[in-house]
Amino acid sequence: MLSNLNVVSLYLDPQIRDWVLFPITLVMILVGILRHYVVILLQSPPKKLSRAAIREQRALVHSQVLRATSTNSPVPESFYKSISQNLSQAFTAGTYLKDGPPQGDAPSTPPNPLSDPNAMDGMMAGMKTQMVMMVPQMVIMGWINFFFQGFVLIKLPFPLTLGFKSMLQRGIETPDMDVRWVSSLSWYFLNFFGLNGLYRLILGGDNAADAARDMATPFAAGVPQAPGQAQDYNKLLIAEKDNLELAEGLYSWVGKDVEQRVLRRYGKFPPSS
Amino acid sequence: MSAPNADAAAQRIYLPNIKHNSALLTVKFLSACLAGATAGILGLQNWLGFALFIASTLVTSACIYVINCKGRPAKYVPGGLWELVNPGQDNIFSFILTWTLFFGIVHVYD
Repeated sequence: MLSNLNVVSLYLDPQIRDWVLFPITLVMILVGILRHYVVILLQSPPKKLSRAAIREQRALVHSQVLRATSTNSPVPESFYKSISQNLSQAFTAGTYLKDGPPQGDAPSTPPNPLSDPNAMDGMMAGMKTQMVMMVPQMVIMGWINFFFQGFVLIKLPFPLTLGFKSMLQRGIETPDMDVRWVSSLSWYFLNFFGLNGLYRLILGGDNAADAARDMATPFAAGVPQAPGQAQDYNKLLIAEKDNLELAEGLYSWVGKDVEQRVLRRYGKFPPSS
Repeated sequence: MSAPNADAAAQRIYLPNIKHNSALLTVKFLSACLAGATAGILGLQNWLGFALFIASTLVTSACIYVINCKGRPAKYVPGGLWELVNPGQDNIFSFILTWTLFFGIVHVYD
C-alpha cells in the first residue's frame, strides 16, 4: 500500500503552464536572438591596416600555404622552387617588412601590447562580447528567482539522483518529494542547454547566442590574437624562412612520374614490383 | 581513386561543399526535437524515453545513409559513419527539453 503513494501525482494548476512555462521559454528565445543582434551591432569594423602592414602579413600566409602541402604539392617543381627561393631571399633581406629592411643598428623591439592601439581594440572587442553574453543570463536568472520561486513547475520524465534536489527544488522545502518535481530554475537550465539547436536553426551556424560555456574558451584564444599583431615580424619571417627551406627539402610533386602511372594503369607498362 | 595517405586525403576536401552538406545537421536536430515531442506525448518515462531517442537517431542515420549518402558516408561527410550517427550534445539537450515540455503539457497538467 505504501508503494501506491509514489504513484499518486501532484495536481498542478494549468495556469502555471500558461503563465510560467511558456513565458520563460519565450523570453529565453527572444533574449538569445537579441544577444545575437547586439553582438553584431557592437562589433566595430576591423581596423584598416596600411598596405605595407598587410603585405607583410600576406607574405607570411603565402609561405605557410606553400609549405603546407609541400609533400604532395600540386605545384610543379620549377614553379615551387622558384617561389620558395624567392620568398627565402625576401625574408632574409627583409623586403616585405612594414618599415623596410632592418637598419641593423638598433635591435627592433616589438611594440608594447598595452600601448599599441591595434591590440587594445582586439581585447576590448573580446571583453564586450563577454559582457553581452553574461549579463542577460544573470538578469534572467534573477528574474526567475524573484518572480517564479517557491512552487513546483513540472515533472521531469527521467529520474535524477538526490544530489540534484537542492539545486532543482530550490525554494520548496519538502524532504520527501520525488526529485522529478522541479522548480522554475531547473526549467531555466533545461532551456539554457536545449535552445542552442534552435538558435542554430534560426540564426545560422555562427551565432552569438550559443551557451556561455562555448564563449569561455574563445576568450582565451582571442587574447593571444592581440599580441599577434604586435609581434616582431622580422623574427617571424626569419623563422618562416627556416621552415620554408625545410619544406623545400621535403617537396614532392603530385604529378611526378604521372606518365608511368597512367601507362601502368592501362596495362601498357609492366606493373611495378 | 583513393588518396595514398591521410595528408593527400585532407587536401582533397573542398570547404564550400562541406558547408553545403551541413544541412544534414538541420535534419538531425529536427528529428531529435520531434522524437522528444513523441516521447512526451506518449508518456514515456525513464529509459523508455532514451530508448526512443536512440531508436530515432538510428532511423534518421539509416535514412541519411541510404538516401543522401547512397551507401558511402565517407564521401559526403568528413568523419565518416560516426559523425553521421552521432547526434551531438545540442541534439541530446534539445530532445530532453522537448520531451520534458510535452510530457508536462500532456500528462502533468490537466
